[in-house]
Amino acid sequence: MSGSRILPGALGALAFLAAGVVHADSVVAEKSEIDFTLKAMGVKFDGRFRKWKADVFFQPKALATSTAAIDVDLGSVDLASSESETEAKGPLWFDTAKFPVAHFASTSIRDLGGDRYEVTGKLMLKGITHDCAVPLTVSTDAAGNRVAEGTFSLKRLDYRIGEGEWADTATVDNDILVHVRMVLKPTG
Amino acid sequence: MSEHYNRGAITLHWVTAALIVANLLLGLSMVALPVSPRKLHWYLFHKSIGITIFLLTSLRIAWRTIRPHPAPVPMPPWQRRAARASHALLYVLLFVIPLSGWLYSSATGVQVVYLGVVPLPDLVGKDKALGDALRIVHVSLNACLFALVVVHVVAAIKHHFIDRDTVLVRMLPIVKAPGIVRP
Repeated sequence: MSGSRILPGALGALAFLAAGVVHADSVVAEKSEIDFTLKAMGVKFDGRFRKWKADVFFQPKALATSTAAIDVDLGSVDLASSESETEAKGPLWFDTAKFPVAHFASTSIRDLGGDRYEVTGKLMLKGITHDCAVPLTVSTDAAGNRVAEGTFSLKRLDYRIGEGEWADTATVDNDILVHVRMVLKPTG
Repeated sequence: MSEHYNRGAITLHWVTAALIVANLLLGLSMVALPVSPRKLHWYLFHKSIGITIFLLTSLRIAWRTIRPHPAPVPMPPWQRRAARASHALLYVLLFVIPLSGWLYSSATGVQVVYLGVVPLPDLVGKDKALGDALRIVHVSLNACLFALVVVHVVAAIKHHFIDRDTVLVRMLPIVKAPGIVRP
């Protein structure tokens, strides 16, 4: 019978899935954040994303198997005013109608010493993919969670963020500072 | 015989007047613009002009203590009281309106950077409800200023054409009316 062959296969798959679950850190979403600061004519504008999803497995002793993958819902952008949010979602900026999600996937994690790490990976934003390096400092909070926090500079024009009338960097700086804070509850 | 205002006072008066008119128009136009680089520029100009008016008004107060204004033109006591009160209120508004704008900007989470170069400290933290309230305060105070400027201008014209006194002329930069002494 074929059933006797399917069952061990299914059990194997389940075991594999279970192992995957055990290995993923759970992200404490309410303590984590992804925000950014852009500068226009010397004036800073802060924003953040309300919705994103992170799959992180971080083990300082097993960096080779550690990974981070983050999906950011660009339509959840939170800015000073609703008209700025509408503009940010529009075709000149994120163009969320065509590109609703930004995706980051790590390719390697390097130990820089002294609780500092560098996560390198691919960032796909507005249909454009570039290599991206994120320096992180890792600490432990009072609840025993692992807190990974860092800031990196993203060149918005590399991803055609702010096109047309916004492309002039004399109005809006090319560098956007992205700040990431991930609070992880280690399960392994 | 009445005295002309001194040159410093005249200059400060007219520069402030020009900036007030420009900033009222700029403020009304910029809010109607769609989000764009132009809108950002106009906001920057508006805030910078506002802070400049605040600074010029401080300078005027200092200047008039060093170089006092000439004695008032003879007029009925109620008019003198009304003029004194409206001038005092104008000064107050020229301090309070830029401050309310600065507070409003802080509450919406946008730091004021004077002339795009000098960052001013945020007066309050980001707070949407407070921001909405301060917007109403800023707009209402400007409505008061506009009304008061209209009264100010109408009064000056009335003094000039009906009373035929030197109230207007002694504040003009170039015209020298007969019987008026320039200090």
